[in-house]
Amino acid sequence: MEFGVIEVSDKNYPKALKEALKNLISSLGPKRLFYKGDIDLLLDEKNCLAVVGSRHLTRYGRQSTEQIITECAAAGITIVSGFMYGGDEAAHSACVKAGGKTIAVMPCGINLVHPPQQKDLYQKILDTGGLIISEYESNLQPQTWMYVQRDRIVAGLSKAVLVTEAALNSGSLITASYAKKYGRKIFALPGQITSEVSKGTLKLIKEGAEPVAEANDILSFYKVLLAQRSAKREVGVNQKTSITLEQKILDYLKREPMNADDLSRTLAVPVAQLGTTLSLMQLKGIIINESGKFYVS
Amino acid sequence: MLVKVQSVANLGLQTIKVDIEINLANKGLPAFDIVGLADKAVAESKERVRTAMATSGIEFPAKKITVNMAPADVPKEGSMYDLPIAIGILSSVLEFAIPEKSLFLGELSFDGSLRHTKGAFLMALFAKEFGFENLYVPKDSANEAAAIKGIKVFPVENLVKLCKHLARQEKIEHVFYKHVVQEKSQTVEFDMKEVLGQEQAKRAMEIAAAGGHNIIMVGSPGSGKTMLARALPGILPPLNETESLEVTKIFSAAGNIPPGGSLITRRQFRAPHHTASLAGLVGGGSKPQPGEISLAHRGVLFLDEFNEFPRSIMEAMRQPLEDGYLTISRSKQRIQYPADFMLVASANPCPCGYAMHPKKPCTCGPNQIAKYQKRISGPILDRIDLHIAIMPVDTAAFADNQKNSEFLESSEKVRQRVMQARQRQEARFLSEDICSNSQMKNTHIKKYCKLSLEVEAILRQAAAKFNLSARSYMKMIKVSRTIADLDNSDEIQVPHMAEALQYSPRTYESA
Repeated sequence: MEFGVIEVSDKNYPKALKEALKNLISSLGPKRLFYKGDIDLLLDEKNCLAVVGSRHLTRYGRQSTEQIITECAAAGITIVSGFMYGGDEAAHSACVKAGGKTIAVMPCGINLVHPPQQKDLYQKILDTGGLIISEYESNLQPQTWMYVQRDRIVAGLSKAVLVTEAALNSGSLITASYAKKYGRKIFALPGQITSEVSKGTLKLIKEGAEPVAEANDILSFYKVLLAQRSAKREVGVNQKTSITLEQKILDYLKREPMNADDLSRTLAVPVAQLGTTLSLMQLKGIIINESGKFYVS
Repeated sequence: MLVKVQSVANLGLQTIKVDIEINLANKGLPAFDIVGLADKAVAESKERVRTAMATSGIEFPAKKITVNMAPADVPKEGSMYDLPIAIGILSSVLEFAIPEKSLFLGELSFDGSLRHTKGAFLMALFAKEFGFENLYVPKDSANEAAAIKGIKVFPVENLVKLCKHLARQEKIEHVFYKHVVQEKSQTVEFDMKEVLGQEQAKRAMEIAAAGGHNIIMVGSPGSGKTMLARALPGILPPLNETESLEVTKIFSAAGNIPPGGSLITRRQFRAPHHTASLAGLVGGGSKPQPGEISLAHRGVLFLDEFNEFPRSIMEAMRQPLEDGYLTISRSKQRIQYPADFMLVASANPCPCGYAMHPKKPCTCGPNQIAKYQKRISGPILDRIDLHIAIMPVDTAAFADNQKNSEFLESSEKVRQRVMQARQRQEARFLSEDICSNSQMKNTHIKKYCKLSLEVEAILRQAAAKFNLSARSYMKMIKVSRTIADLDNSDEIQVPHMAEALQYSPRTYESA
């Protein structure tokens, strides 16, 4: 595996980053970057999309991230993020899964994996030709201020930033504010107005960020357009037993994930009967249960 | 002059006869001594006996009195020997004979009256078994002893009255058993009707009550876990005769039967706090006492905030959860207490509690959540049959709709179904030594839960998909058996098994 250091004076030092930080006091820019993996990814910064999101990513946020990032990665866009759990992790994972290249900007020393439980993802990023960078050497432990410092690199490296989910006063909004300062395009994922982690993204949209409804919104900005997207998976209902109830449940769940109590009330079906149907649907793989709520898989 | 009075000693739930020999010697200086491994409470009975006699107007004999309690190598404890010692001394002073085939038990008060004393019920069981005919116990403890048929229980109010009775001057009538309605604290706090929403959880409670299954509820604070648990006693069937005797025995040994109390017929609902000690919860102490899990025998043990309980306590419950009893071993004795209870546990999904909340954000990191959930060990979770997630109810939506509560089922209605399911189980297990589906061992499952090919296919599929352990696999069969019983069905059908799978163990990660 390749690893090393690049200095500001190197020709490999990302132009986008240098340019972005030009306006700031020069001492704020990282003088050197430590890296592991394919450093050439940095040369192609026009192709980079930063994706940041809340640590407490909702199921909706994760699903949307997967959907959008899979297509972006397939179109050859490099995904840059901060390797934190939640939104960052979802973006990295989706990209790795789609066979794309991803850059993880660490808030800690280059030799450290933080958060440690994402060791597998770390390895996968390197295995798929991705890049890990940090402005700190050896085993420096992350501190609160280092996360904010990391955010400026994430924003600086990319041509545009996609904020998937963010609470007000969150780290994701800090990244967005850096991006704004550097003149980057900001995309935001619209969410429900009642969701705590959609308040930040909605605020961005109000301030002029572009709402993202599909990957094409981002791809057209990158001047790539996937002509044909993979046909959406249609869920087949083949069993003849309780076909109507199954179909009804599915109709509701497609709109919004629900728990058994809500379904039972909405459909006016006793929970005992509902439970039976839900189990059979789970076994068929049509729906999944997570933390008590049912989702269309 | 030598007098012999008989009483009993309780070692756990086991009762042995104790002969109390009282010698009043004319030679030697006046003294009063007790020998025979008497503990502090027994030794102090000297002072109670002396004072009670004085206040009853009987002169304490100025002789050298020695009391021997045999067998001399078994430790005697408690205040129950006051009466037999006093009556022995009195029989020599007032010159009446101690009746044959009689047992005495009771604690004396300074004014000569008798106080409610623990162990009367155990003594009555012993008397019946070993052919004793008369029982002399404090008036307040007489009713519980009288629950055992075929022996005469004499309620003793005070020393004077008993002396007159034994001297055949004034008769004490023996009591007849009268069932008393149980104390107020046992009334049900909530009716199922008062629990709004939570249809699935209520259904799970019904299944748990019908089959005696263990259940765990995971949900955010304020989602109604505690309320659901507290409503549970209202849908439990009453204890049957054998069960009632078992529970009363434990209560008698622990001294938990109130004055004037009778047989315990209601299933117990015990809710110890998570700061309870290991000995308090599972039983123990230098003289092993039954713990909360034994007091919850045949009833419900509700452990709120389950992951706050110390690891040692949780792991100590593994054996009783599997076997239905707990053996407490001490260097000098080994005591077995039954502890076949239904475990109802509730837990938060994460330290802040809001990981599953639809509105409030959770502030915990994933490793914090993982650590928190790991506090309940796998083996314990594996022993719990029903797992449910509780979502907070949108109270506003329900408050508008007061009519709703009229359509909700009352506890009484649910209880009828539960009782019917229990009757089916009792009929099924008539020739076995178990009485509910949850107690089935693998041999019982093979014998009574024959699965059709179709049902087995579903279960196998689910086991692979949901990663069920072998024990969970068996538990699913037991739960589906209970669901079939609730449905009045002799066979476990596909819908029964499918519904059971809704309550299979799963992890509660935040999304």
